Amino acid sequence: MQTLKIVITGGYAAGKTQFIRSISDIDPISTDYAVTLDEERALKNQTTVALDFGTIAINDQVTLYLFGTPGQERFDFMWEHLSIGCLGYVIMVDSCRPGHFVETRRLMDRFSELTDAPFVVAANKQDDPTALPLSYIRRRLELPLTIPIIACVATERESVKQVLLALLQHILLLTPDELDPVSS
Amino acid sequence: MALEGTLQDMSLSDLIQVFRMGPKSGVLLLREQIQHGIIYVSNGRMIDALILRGSERTIVATADEAVIQMLTWDNARFVFQHNPYVHTRPIRIHRDGEQLILEGMARRADPTRAIPYHSITLDTYLQLSPLPNNSGSGVKLNVHQWRILSQVASQKSLRDVCEATKMERTMAIRTVVELLSLGVIEVVAPPRPQKVRHPEKRAVATTARCDFGSDMQRDDASMTNGVHGFGTETKAPPVISHTLLNAIKRRIHAL
Repeated sequence: MQTLKIVITGGYAAGKTQFIRSISDIDPISTDYAVTLDEERALKNQTTVALDFGTIAINDQVTLYLFGTPGQERFDFMWEHLSIGCLGYVIMVDSCRPGHFVETRRLMDRFSELTDAPFVVAANKQDDPTALPLSYIRRRLELPLTIPIIACVATERESVKQVLLALLQHILLLTPDELDPVSS
Repeated sequence: MALEGTLQDMSLSDLIQVFRMGPKSGVLLLREQIQHGIIYVSNGRMIDALILRGSERTIVATADEAVIQMLTWDNARFVFQHNPYVHTRPIRIHRDGEQLILEGMARRADPTRAIPYHSITLDTYLQLSPLPNNSGSGVKLNVHQWRILSQVASQKSLRDVCEATKMERTMAIRTVVELLSLGVIEVVAPPRPQKVRHPEKRAVATTARCDFGSDMQRDDASMTNGVHGFGTETKAPPVISHTLLNAIKRRIHAL
């Protein structure tokens, strides 16, 4: 059995847990605990402190694992473990919280130090009529045009599928064509 | 759900641009210390605005002037709430958003442009502003403002107003500035010396508006900055064939 790993990361309350919940074949394994800080509790009541875990069975031999990282920077020691050997990663950002862009930008820099894996940005909550446009989010994240940014609604399975497909397409473009199948 | 943050996270000029790009409709609420700002946005365009102060919610500025003053705020918290029925409000902002942004930038650079204390003298002539229907509703004037306003109707100089109301000069000028911010009165040119045959010649308003042009292009240079340099000592991702990647894509497609 071969396993492949995709990491779902992003700032606090960006929608990572919901993203995995919407697409996973299994009931995701979450390690959520009650939020302790007041300013964080204003956004949500439970938060991921270690990881979220979901799977997608590709065929009999291959399973895709989805790992969601904890959002708060005080748990960033987990990011390094989760990024090892990942095929690619999705950076999630809340389209209605411009105050989180700086934190997301820092997280992008940190992940680029941890892994060379390709990534895409998923702009969550794009179904909200007040959501910021993708072009503005790209500018604020200083995202080069070579990195895809995809509109996302983490609660909708179809939208989550489109993000994963965009990531896979991005990986395809960056992977040499003549490679043999992966050796585990 | 709503767009939320502080003006340090996202400036008001950015918000105005984003509203137009949307185009968005709704109400933008800002709070800076004891002041509350409200901007009504219909289909990407600002149509009305006001600034309220204190617990009495005294209106201190309206329409274009309110937006320009809010553009000088730095630390306000904001919430933008979607509301498709905003278009039913009367339109009281007539200048383009970009013109207001430019005016706000100019005022930030030169705060003396903000409140024309320096230009209000006892020889300044005033007249009532031609307000659209019900645009004055919600404006609460204090006693001093009412005293001034009651005298301005007949196009007097501020000296005449001071004599009529027995109001002290400094207080009168301050009150006139407040009324100007509210858009209730405006400054007019002094009347020309009256000719015998044309005693009713009217003064001409001097509050000409500046035309800044509407083709301000965004500076997108920053979009190309900040390319992520991957470190040389990073862990390489696993090598994977296109066949397998395509198989994964097909599987996810089929989900």
